[in-house]
Amino acid sequence: MKNKLAQEEIVGFALIIIIMAVIILFFLVFYLKEERESVESYEANSFIQAFLHYTTECENYREYLSIQKLIFECEKDFVCLNERNSCEVLNSTLKGIVEESWKTGGDRPVKGYEMNITSGQKELIYFKEGEISASYQGAKQDFLSSGINVEILFRAYS
Amino acid sequence: MVRNNKAQMKIQQMAFMLIAVTLFFVLAGMFFLRISFSELRSSAELVEEKNALLLVSKLANSPEFSCENAFGGVKINCVDEDKIMALKTNIDKYSGFWGISGIEVRKIYPLDELTECTSSNYPDCNYIRIFSGSSAQSSGVGVSNFVALCRIEGGENLIQEKCELAKIIVYYGGGE
Repeated sequence: MKNKLAQEEIVGFALIIIIMAVIILFFLVFYLKEERESVESYEANSFIQAFLHYTTECENYREYLSIQKLIFECEKDFVCLNERNSCEVLNSTLKGIVEESWKTGGDRPVKGYEMNITSGQKELIYFKEGEISASYQGAKQDFLSSGINVEILFRAYS
Repeated sequence: MVRNNKAQMKIQQMAFMLIAVTLFFVLAGMFFLRISFSELRSSAELVEEKNALLLVSKLANSPEFSCENAFGGVKINCVDEDKIMALKTNIDKYSGFWGISGIEVRKIYPLDELTECTSSNYPDCNYIRIFSGSSAQSSGVGVSNFVALCRIEGGENLIQEKCELAKIIVYYGGGE
C-alpha cells in the first residue's frame, strides 16, 4: 500500500517535470525565433541598395557596368573590354567597398563582416574578414533578371 | 504525542514546500522580466536607429536629392550629385526648410584625400557640405546612411552615368 502511494507520487512528480519542460521549451523556441528576426538592419539594407548602383571598371560595348549588372555578367563568365574577368572585378570592387565602409578592429564597433552572393546553387562571391560572432546586423537582398535569381547576404559582426 | 509530532512534521514539510515553490516562481519571474526588459531596451534602440535612418533615407529620396528617372529607372537610396551641387549654390532659398542643422555628403569609395567640392573643382572632390547652419562646421547629432552618389559623365564618345558609394550625414539639434 505504502509502495503504491510512493509510486503514484513519483508519477505525479514526473508529470509535473515533463509539463514544465514542455513550457520552458516552448518559451525558448519563441524567444530564439524573435531574436533571429530582430537582427535585420536598416543600415546594412541601405548599404546593399547603395552598392548595387556603384559603377565598376568593367566595360561592355555599351557602358561601364554597375555592380548589379556585373553580378549577372559574372554568372555568365563575361570578360570585360579591358580583358579582366567580370567575377574578378566584382570580387575586388566589393572587397574594396566593404573594407572602406565597415572598418573593423578591436577598438571599433564592427569586429568583422561576411559577404555572400549566390545565384541559384552557385556561389559567385564569398569573403569574410575579422571576427565572426553571434551578435551581428545583416541584410539580405534577392533579385531576379532573365530567369536568374540572385541572393546577396551581408552581415557585420559586433 | 507521536501523532501530533507527525502532524507538525507534515505542516513543516508543507511550509518548506510552499516557500520553495514561491521562491522558484519569484526567481523564474525575475528571469523572464529581465529578458523582457532587455528585449524592450534593444527593440527601443532598434526603433530609434530605424527612425534616424528613415529620416536620412526620406531626405535622400526627396525630390531635391534623389536621382528619380535621370539614370534609367527609379533607384532607391540614390542621390543625384549634379542636383545637390546646384542645391548647394541655391541653399539660401531653403533656409529652415528641413528643420535640421546640417547636411553633408561624403564619398566613401573610392577613398581619396578629403577635398570639399566647390563649383571650380567639381567633380574632382569627395565631400559636399550642402549647408551647416551659421558655422563653418556642422554641429549637433549626426545620423548617416549609405547612398549611391550618381552623376552624368561625358567622355569623348561616351556619355554615361557614374555612381559612387557615399554617406549622407544629417545633423540635427545643433541650433540652426
